[in-house]
Amino acid sequence: MYRYDDFDRSFVHQRAAQFRDQLERHLAGSLGEEEFRPLRLQNGWYVQRHAPMLRVAVPYGELNSKQLRALSRIARVYDGRSGGPHAGKGGFGHLTTRQNCQYNWIALDDAADVMDLLADVDMHGIQTSGNCIRNITSDCFAGVAADEIVDPRPYCEILRQWSTLHPEFAFLPRKFKIAVSGAIEDRAAIAWHDIGLVLKKNDAGEVGFEVRVGGGMGRTPIIGTVVREFLPWHEILVFIEAVVRVYNRYGRRDNIYKARIKILVKAEGQKFIDAVEGEFQDILERDIDGSAHLITDAELARVSACFESPDGVTAVAETPIDATNATPSYTRWLARNVHAHRLSGYRAVTLSLKRAGQPPGDASANQMALAADLADRFSSSELRVSHDQNLVLPWVPATELPALYAAARESGFATPNIGHLTDMIACPGGDLCALANARSIPIAASLTERFDDLDELHDIGDIDLHISGCINSCGHHHSGHIGILGVDKDGQEWYQVSLGGSDGSTLSGPSATGKVIGPSFAAEEVTDVVEVVIDTYRAQRTSHEERFIATVRRIGLDPFKAAANAVRRATAIDG
Amino acid sequence: MSAPTMKFIDAASNRWHEVTADDALVPMPTPCAECLLSTAQWQAVRTTWPRDIPVGIVLANDVDVETIGRDVASFAIVALQFPKWTDGRAYSQARLLRSRYRYTGELRATGEVLVDMLPLLARTGFDAVVLRADQSRAVAERALAMFPAGHYQGDTLARQPHFRRRLSESAT
Repeated sequence: MYRYDDFDRSFVHQRAAQFRDQLERHLAGSLGEEEFRPLRLQNGWYVQRHAPMLRVAVPYGELNSKQLRALSRIARVYDGRSGGPHAGKGGFGHLTTRQNCQYNWIALDDAADVMDLLADVDMHGIQTSGNCIRNITSDCFAGVAADEIVDPRPYCEILRQWSTLHPEFAFLPRKFKIAVSGAIEDRAAIAWHDIGLVLKKNDAGEVGFEVRVGGGMGRTPIIGTVVREFLPWHEILVFIEAVVRVYNRYGRRDNIYKARIKILVKAEGQKFIDAVEGEFQDILERDIDGSAHLITDAELARVSACFESPDGVTAVAETPIDATNATPSYTRWLARNVHAHRLSGYRAVTLSLKRAGQPPGDASANQMALAADLADRFSSSELRVSHDQNLVLPWVPATELPALYAAARESGFATPNIGHLTDMIACPGGDLCALANARSIPIAASLTERFDDLDELHDIGDIDLHISGCINSCGHHHSGHIGILGVDKDGQEWYQVSLGGSDGSTLSGPSATGKVIGPSFAAEEVTDVVEVVIDTYRAQRTSHEERFIATVRRIGLDPFKAAANAVRRATAIDG
Repeated sequence: MSAPTMKFIDAASNRWHEVTADDALVPMPTPCAECLLSTAQWQAVRTTWPRDIPVGIVLANDVDVETIGRDVASFAIVALQFPKWTDGRAYSQARLLRSRYRYTGELRATGEVLVDMLPLLARTGFDAVVLRADQSRAVAERALAMFPAGHYQGDTLARQPHFRRRLSESAT
């Protein structure tokens, strides 16, 4: 993974010092809340329902065990209340679809100390919030995936550095999210981002990007538009500068719901693309030192050298996995949680954070420390945070799988449900988030409890279930095969259910927004609705090989609507 | 790297003024020293304004700087506006004026200008600010002195990004 040099390290410490100065002025009363707000946001500090929330950047999802131990320590020492109405809460981190780690119970007075602790392990909260270029996300199997064409991580790091404290783009009309992938399979929901980049090679073997602009969820879900089929890799910073400058100048600022770049792209169409191409040419041809941000071969080589395989990791002969004494649960774990690797003799392994008794994506201080131990023992001290809110060990020798399984099971990470219904995406929802209209966690808990039979989950097969507590769509409900959206009606929690969304993966098909299957359901109806929707699928599928999403596409929504309407109690509708 | 220099202007030190009569902008101002014209006023007088009288212009933050691009050599001062400090359009205007149109005169930030904006202003080409009345100049100067080792990306102060500076450092 990327190794900080003296400049990088001094930079994050400077940033922590700058934040301390701002926080002290705020606490002393000379920097009002309104003016402090955008400053703390750009360091990852929100004010939420009960307390501030800190979002720590995990750039493109890559972590080492030392960093995870620091995150564990922050959860243990700083995340929680000793008194008051919320005594005993906290002590955990929440992993997000954008591969970041959030805390919900840290006192603002401790904020500067926490930023110092993060800086000590080369971490920060820079631009994890605010109307700026956010943390860049990627494929959680980047650099190890068997289907990878180009490793996206060096480009992600170069983009991270370029976007960090960019002086022109700190106050855009709205937030700006970039995702990068370099494999055949899309594991980063590329088309759902403000800018989605896919690395590819042309016939000459040269590396370039397919560039999409203007994807996004929220109130107006839109799939990004391809604006360049193949942009040579060294031009990427200049091209993105052109995109973001056009957005900064012409994006709407009169209405927060129409301020994302997707609205500009949709409204202007080809005119937008022409403006970006014009700006791109102008930078290179007219600006003083306009070519300064063309990436040099030397810089790509310097950064890429950080992403070589860890010491001692090299392809070895595959040895057949001994299945003679394998238990059914181990066999299932091998099938669900263990993934192909570009190196023979190695696997990537998902540590499931989807289990009964804890919200999806949550890890306690102790669990984070245990995961760090597993990384040290089995994965060259490296981990990843996945878009699906799990942890991944990227460098596991295949011969260690039985030992890893035993250790992961002991630590509660071995639920063999990756890709299954209970491997759902969920935002923190109304329990913690001030924006939410409804709670997500109780819905997730109820579904986890109802679908606790592994044989049944196996029979249902691959399915994406996504829950958002409000239309901001942090739980990506638009792209779920089953999407659940919390809505507020007269102060009550209601849930809209949609079917047929896609994140753009091979299983899900081209990125698409799910379609709502009728009026909202009451909270106590949601689990029943999901159950009858699943029953309908099982009754209607042509074979066990036809996945849920394929059945929905083949037979349409009506059979699912009818089944869902039949379980309405609080929301009975006529006819 | 030393802290960037910034001129702090307040009501007492400001010599530039808009050309108004009865609280309205004069459509066709008579040439005078230290006049700060709107874009419309400038368009009305641009062919007749005497070259030996320095003139300034105020650009709203939704004006395309291209519209005055060919005139920049005429201006002693360009004032850009921050109607709200979270509206970042003027940063792009400043960057373009300096890098694309080679504007070398004073570039002044006006409106809701807060101390924590100073590093961004300095790095996009501003060299003068009118701080909001309640802001502290000392804190603004402290903000400017942060990140003494510089930043990752190039800007109007250090045009080369860190990755190119790093290369030239290791080459010497």
